[in-house]
Amino acid sequence: MLTVSRKTERLVNLTIALLATKRYITKSEIFRTVDGYEGSDESKERMFERDKDDLRNLGIEIEVGTFDPLFEDESGYRIKPENYQFQLGEVNAQEITLLSLAAEAWRGASMGPSALSALNKLHAIGIESDTELLLDLAPAIINQDSNLAIAISAITSKTVLSFSYLNEDLQSQSRALEPYAVTSRYGHWYIFGNDLDRKASRLFRLDRVSGELKLQGKSGAFEIPSEIDVNSAFAKSSDLSTAVIFLRDGRGLNLRSRGLQSVATSAPVGWEALKMEYRDRERFIEEILWYGKDVIVLAPADLRIEILKILRAGVATYG
Amino acid sequence: MAKSQSTPVEKAARLLDLVPFISTHQGIALSELAAEFNLTESELLSDLNTLWMCGLPGYTPLELIDLEFESGYVSIRNAEVLQRVRLLTKQELVIILLGLDILRSSLDPKRNDLSTAISRLTNKIKEIVGNVATASPIVDSAHRAIITQAIASRMDLLVKYHSTIRDTVTERVITPLELSLDHGFEVLSAYCQSAEGFRTFRLDNMRSVGLAGSSVSIPEPSEISDYQWQLLIKSRFRTSSERFRSTYKPRESTDGEQVSVNSFSQDWLLRNAMSTLASVEVQLPVSARSLIAQKCQQSLELYEKWAFPK
Repeated sequence: MLTVSRKTERLVNLTIALLATKRYITKSEIFRTVDGYEGSDESKERMFERDKDDLRNLGIEIEVGTFDPLFEDESGYRIKPENYQFQLGEVNAQEITLLSLAAEAWRGASMGPSALSALNKLHAIGIESDTELLLDLAPAIINQDSNLAIAISAITSKTVLSFSYLNEDLQSQSRALEPYAVTSRYGHWYIFGNDLDRKASRLFRLDRVSGELKLQGKSGAFEIPSEIDVNSAFAKSSDLSTAVIFLRDGRGLNLRSRGLQSVATSAPVGWEALKMEYRDRERFIEEILWYGKDVIVLAPADLRIEILKILRAGVATYG
Repeated sequence: MAKSQSTPVEKAARLLDLVPFISTHQGIALSELAAEFNLTESELLSDLNTLWMCGLPGYTPLELIDLEFESGYVSIRNAEVLQRVRLLTKQELVIILLGLDILRSSLDPKRNDLSTAISRLTNKIKEIVGNVATASPIVDSAHRAIITQAIASRMDLLVKYHSTIRDTVTERVITPLELSLDHGFEVLSAYCQSAEGFRTFRLDNMRSVGLAGSSVSIPEPSEISDYQWQLLIKSRFRTSSERFRSTYKPRESTDGEQVSVNSFSQDWLLRNAMSTLASVEVQLPVSARSLIAQKCQQSLELYEKWAFPK
């Protein structure tokens, strides 16, 4: 327990010393004056290197520079206040409220610890939230998947991710990805990036990853393109096709929400003739079959024939 | 609580955040401060005792951080260097970015001021971390707020609900009982006054939600019987498992796989069985098999009746 406190104290003292100084201070000055650096020169060096890494992981950048032009060989260290302090500038009560609510949305989710430390900082600014402002909103992000935190940290640190991904046959495939973005759609989380083996941008659904995402290699290993088009990644999976269907009046609500167009074909009473677009043929067939006797596919002929074949096979199996 | 496992580095980070917080909340009660940082009071005291040993090189009383907390209220002096609020890490910025996205999509369209403020903040954050995270929530945050309020104040709700199983939208008066997660989806357990029975509603299928007066008493919940089916998945293993909400794991073979699935709704199971007709065979119960045969037959008759006019 004592050593735990010593390490903590040393990190805080180092931060204070480097933040207070107006000039670069040398390593030997640090070892002489900052409390907590003990032991042989070598072990002090090791401690210091580790401390620098630890602070960097907390988002605290230590700057290295020459402290005296006459002694160029000895470099010095400092933390610039502008690199240490809250970087969103002046914020008002409304903005603090919005930022706090945004962090609070993660309550109980996989990013809880980061959300808490963000809230502590926001509240430390000392501007009271305008609690009346958004009483009628209860944002919540539902995620229990610890891989989301790993994905976000890989993106912010620009580190390659490796993982096993389950394909349609549930066989796991090894993937290596330069992660660019995370996004939530249709109630699922996706990670988007540059697939290093396939040399193309790819989208992965996080809950189809088998096991843990692993950080691979060094941070800062790639650049994230300034224009990331996740939307087109969702659309790109296959080309658009068009089908003509009969849809029973008032049924197929989810199909209707996808923007159906009417067709100049006469439909039986109680039915509408509609045109709809689809991408993934197999998914589309499954979607049509979900609605049972409320949707009939008329065209294209090959799609109609395939559905008929499935239904006949169904009668043969179950009848 | 979180702290028991916190590493020396995490503890250092917290100390750096405690200083500016106490500086702007001088005289805050220990209990309140502990709650803010999600610590027990003894964990907080240990933090404060460590902080007390820190300061500028020299480490005489003149340079050390001066903390007073014996009275049960915390105040701080001589901590000018650390008074600045620490910058948000990129990780924190990303989660805030996602949170703002969720907020934006639920705003009252009349609150232009709020959406402008959200855009301003989002742009600031994107300048730092890039456009690396977006969220399209499926649940309206305003609906969740009303439901939470109704549960807390024992009110009924008037809900316009889209049942994907029945393929209809109906208005119902329900007595909300509990919010929970079901296979990653937010659901509300409730007593449906309209159907006179206990039901589970998916929040993302609620088209509108409003308060509907005080709750009247509801009957004791009875045991809900589940339908259990046995399936043989023959192909499209991932999609089929996902449709039936059956958990899956990596597999070596390409042979069929027997799984058992269950649901309170036979209709839902039937629709899924139709949907996956080409890749899944329902083995049991036998009654389900004849229902599926019937459904196939009904659809076939329609197909045979109507073809696309030449």
